[in-house]
Amino acid sequence: MSAKMVTSDQVFKDILAKKDVFILDVRNEEEYNDWKIEGKTVTSLNIPYFDFLDGTEAHLDKLPKDKPILVVCAKEGSSKFVADQLVEAGLDASYLQGGMKEWSQYYYATPVVEEDNFKLYQVNRVSKGCLSYVVVSDGEALVLDPARHVDEYIQLAEKDGAKITHILDSHLHADHISGARDLVEKTGAKYYLMKSEGANYDHEALEDYDEIKFNNVKVEVLAVKTPGHTPGSVSFFINDKYLLSGDTIFVGGLGRPDLGGKVKEWAQDLYNTVFEKIAEIADDVLVLPAHFADIKSEMADNGIVGETLGNIRKNNEIMQTTDKDAFLAEVEKSASSVKPPNFEKIVGINRGELTPSSEEAVELEIGPNRCAVHHTA
Amino acid sequence: MKVDQTVDAKGLSCPMPVVKAKKAIDSMEPGQVMELLSTDKGSVKDFQSWVKQTNHELIKHEEEDGVYKFYVRKN
Repeated sequence: MSAKMVTSDQVFKDILAKKDVFILDVRNEEEYNDWKIEGKTVTSLNIPYFDFLDGTEAHLDKLPKDKPILVVCAKEGSSKFVADQLVEAGLDASYLQGGMKEWSQYYYATPVVEEDNFKLYQVNRVSKGCLSYVVVSDGEALVLDPARHVDEYIQLAEKDGAKITHILDSHLHADHISGARDLVEKTGAKYYLMKSEGANYDHEALEDYDEIKFNNVKVEVLAVKTPGHTPGSVSFFINDKYLLSGDTIFVGGLGRPDLGGKVKEWAQDLYNTVFEKIAEIADDVLVLPAHFADIKSEMADNGIVGETLGNIRKNNEIMQTTDKDAFLAEVEKSASSVKPPNFEKIVGINRGELTPSSEEAVELEIGPNRCAVHHTA
Repeated sequence: MKVDQTVDAKGLSCPMPVVKAKKAIDSMEPGQVMELLSTDKGSVKDFQSWVKQTNHELIKHEEEDGVYKFYVRKN
């Protein structure tokens, strides 16, 4: 008898449904410590597959007999090898289709708002902690911060009978490859980005817009010079209710201001952003960021990563630190030195200076959710 | 270097390079040297971890035109 195969979608839906998920990760220790599948109800154990070359016996006491075991490896082969042995030994084992490679390309789309002619979806690339958004109104769709697998967005829009007409990037990303240009090619939509981000391909300069009118949707462009890993980040305020905050505000904190080598100057900008621009926005506005750091604490039970601005202000000490010197000291201190993997190459690609093959793109993006480094504690 | 046995795992992916290497080394005498040829980048680190853990000696490893070559002395 051989083990069953389970897809990334099934695994994530089990996590969402709060089912216990027991994962036996058979990659080597270093890879496991670098990144793994996480969730509130996930228990995971790392035993490399080569420890199973002499059979399962030595490990049986560490594995549950009474619940399913999901075996996970880098690309599937080794997890199947181990899962088959566990099934032979009488355990309820399955393996993850395509392994962590497939997990790194898994997207979960969920509606945040569903009104008659206004829908807002959050598209979560779970493994990377990257969030993008699709706004649909009267047959047209706007996509914000699309990731590389652009068919996800095209299919989502099609399901609502909409055509993608607007594509926006909140900033030039450093941690993942933007899907914007690919999506522009496939849809012919207009693409918006701040000119100051230095991309060397055609786009509408967001500097020229205060607002993007789009059927029933009013998208206010809050062009805040966001201290962070780029000189010009933007937040978008939709229908006065939803703040798509890019990398400026997260559920768990603020964007880090240290990636440009001008931490003092940008921390100052961040202070002005928080206490001038954001301060004017009401508490009941829902903040929908471009990243999460910790899925266990930042994703709500409905699967949405978001929080009201009021709660974010209340729960984050840094948002209450109005004393400028104290704020600057804290922000500068908490800026970590760990940078997203391959970030220089990824920035080069997003700027239009490098063109990777699709295999290279997979390799560059694979790895941990290091979006955490964008956060200040 | 005298190689006692060569395991050609070119074109095979995880877990086969390590599985074949283990089989070969089990059949060898202590002190003998095994050469493993693999094209699977993903299993390079796994193989190194396995050698370390099983107390064999990794004499050297190199890459040539996409082929990873490992030389292991059986403990």
